[in-house]
Amino acid sequence: MGRTKSGGGGSNVGASSSHSPSSDTNSTSSTAAAEVRIKDLLKELYHLIHQVQDERARGEHNLTNISKTHERMQQEQKVTPYYKNKLKGLYKTAMQDAELEAELLRKALDKIAEVKSIRENRRLGKIKDSDRPKPIMRRGVLMTMLQQNAQTLPLWVSKPGEKPPPLCGAITADNNYVAKPGDKVAARVRSDDEENWILAEVVTFNSSTNKYDVDDIDADEGKERHTLSKRRIVPLPIWKANPETDPEALFTKNMLVLALYPQTTCFYRALIHEPPKKPQDDYSVLFEDTSYQDGYSPPLMVAQRYVIACKEDKKK
Amino acid sequence: MKGKGKGIIDKDCPLQFPDLQPVDHATECPKYTAVLTRSEDEGIGLEELEVIQSDLETLLASAGLRLKQLEHEKQILVNWQDKKDKKGLTPGKVQPETPTSGKRGKVVEEKPSKKFKGATETSGKGAIHQTPTGPGRPKSKINQTKGEYDSAADSPIDLPKLPKNDAVNRFWVSVEPYCADITTEDIKVLEDLLISHQDDADFFKVPALGKHFSDRWAEEDLLEEQRDGAKINDRRRGNNNNHSGCPDVTTLLKKAEQSNVDESPFGPLTQRLVSALIEENIMTPMDDAMTELGGESADEAPAISPRALAKQLNIGNPIHLEKRIKRELEEQGILDMEEKVEDNPDDEILTELRQKQQDLKAISQHNIVVTKSLLERAKEEMKKQEIRKKLAAADAEVLDAYRKIQAARQKKKTPTKKEKDAAWKALKERDALVKVLASKNK
Repeated sequence: MGRTKSGGGGSNVGASSSHSPSSDTNSTSSTAAAEVRIKDLLKELYHLIHQVQDERARGEHNLTNISKTHERMQQEQKVTPYYKNKLKGLYKTAMQDAELEAELLRKALDKIAEVKSIRENRRLGKIKDSDRPKPIMRRGVLMTMLQQNAQTLPLWVSKPGEKPPPLCGAITADNNYVAKPGDKVAARVRSDDEENWILAEVVTFNSSTNKYDVDDIDADEGKERHTLSKRRIVPLPIWKANPETDPEALFTKNMLVLALYPQTTCFYRALIHEPPKKPQDDYSVLFEDTSYQDGYSPPLMVAQRYVIACKEDKKK
Repeated sequence: MKGKGKGIIDKDCPLQFPDLQPVDHATECPKYTAVLTRSEDEGIGLEELEVIQSDLETLLASAGLRLKQLEHEKQILVNWQDKKDKKGLTPGKVQPETPTSGKRGKVVEEKPSKKFKGATETSGKGAIHQTPTGPGRPKSKINQTKGEYDSAADSPIDLPKLPKNDAVNRFWVSVEPYCADITTEDIKVLEDLLISHQDDADFFKVPALGKHFSDRWAEEDLLEEQRDGAKINDRRRGNNNNHSGCPDVTTLLKKAEQSNVDESPFGPLTQRLVSALIEENIMTPMDDAMTELGGESADEAPAISPRALAKQLNIGNPIHLEKRIKRELEEQGILDMEEKVEDNPDDEILTELRQKQQDLKAISQHNIVVTKSLLERAKEEMKKQEIRKKLAAADAEVLDAYRKIQAARQKKKTPTKKEKDAAWKALKERDALVKVLASKNK
């Protein structure tokens, strides 16, 4: 297991390519319409944030009230019907407030997602237009991008009674799910007599052959296009699961997973050491590694986005 | 007691008093806070989106968590209260009864006996424990937390919105047709009903008798036999026998009739007429001769036979003859017209038909009577309705006049003559209408 090389398979380790790093995000070649739309969205976002704060300020009083009531009840060490009724009323109001607040927050986050998708589309469009296979970025830039990508993965917070959707955290996609172009996937590729799960981006899916065309995310001058059957592709989660509200959508301790080894673009088998506790937290995982005495690496942090269920390998 | 009390509330109270304090955005969400202080023109930069998203997600997660905790607590409250309500005990009563720790064990021991063996085994001591006591709580708490997930829907508090009660409206709608004014349409329906009775005559016609089924069947049977026989004859006999072996069906039948049934083909009226015209003694020898000749073959039936006579007289159809005679006699005034529809008492179908027609006649007669009376009353009611409408108008007028006078009084003025006259006129009109209506109602 070549853990020492910071990427298995097709990843080109630390190649300082002659191409200048292109950060496509602040490109100026976009259409004016998209620019205007983004501006509008930002404006809406601004207003939504203010609305959120208004709503929170409005609801705060009630929450203070609840905690005061809680305190008093605990002091009196008695739960009288009066308190119960009072609590019930307070809870009801607080729930309505929380729902409203969550709704506004969701709307605001939707705006952000829309801005992001506009920019992503622009990026994809540019790739298609240009003959140049793919902008190649320096290793450091790539890693930062991957990190950021993981951090900004939208958070799923289910409402009461709601179940997290497929591709939220540990919840796998439906069997007939087809990843869209631009989606990040884990792809099992063969190179140098070695099977490796690499991080890749979907180019197309051919439904007649049931095969994906994927690009290695760590592309080495465009030669890393793979055509792989659907079995060899695992779509990455598109939602982060919220440990506070949807713990069932997280991998639990000691589960076997595939996780992206830090500072590489390859997935390796690992055990969950510690699931995340807060929405922004990462998993703490133990990679299988024979170079350590107990066969596992010390705990390493991997974002939710890059932890997927491990399909049991026949070989192992 | 205080210390013990505390223990009770810890065990008793399933409420968890979660910390619901909102996120302190100033410290935890700096970007969010920063945006709040900005003016609209400053807005939000693209590069800030990621951080803002993270802040917003922190807030959303907190709101989501709060929502879940509240839901959970509320459910606990509801279930807790339900349980108490069922046992019919107020929480205040429960707590003073809290027994010493020594009894706690017993309660636990007796629980299964209560559950599985019924109340028979619970002794006097056990009976006391049947009331839910402090130590019994923790157990029920477990039940509650278990139950709250599957019985989340049936808590009555969660269903404050009752469907709107429209029973009253439905009642009035159902009553409406019985109280509504009678319209011209209703009258038209009644009249149409009456008119429809005019077509009843069709039901009282008796269709003419056809050929009797036994005759028809005999003919058909014979025809069939003959056909079959002809086939056999064709095979067995030579050509010379062919004609004599296949006599006409009708002639054969007639022969059979002549030989077996010695009946006159003429109708009763014809027979009566003939017998009235011909003297008895003339007929008698004929009959005698017939009986004498009875031994001979039917083919050579004497000319005196009625059938032969009919043939001789060249009377085609005895039924036609009967009818003709009847018509003739009626025209001559010899036969009474009324006797025309004289039924054959032996005809069962006819009697049944007559019976039913009689029933139908009675029913339709009744219907006509009822419909007519309804129609009459409806018309009467229409007139009353007219008056009532006028009465309502008159009422309005009276009220109007009253209001005017009242207004004048308030202004400390005596009502003008015109107003007074109007008031009186309205009153009188109304009185007249009331009288008319009363007379109609009598």
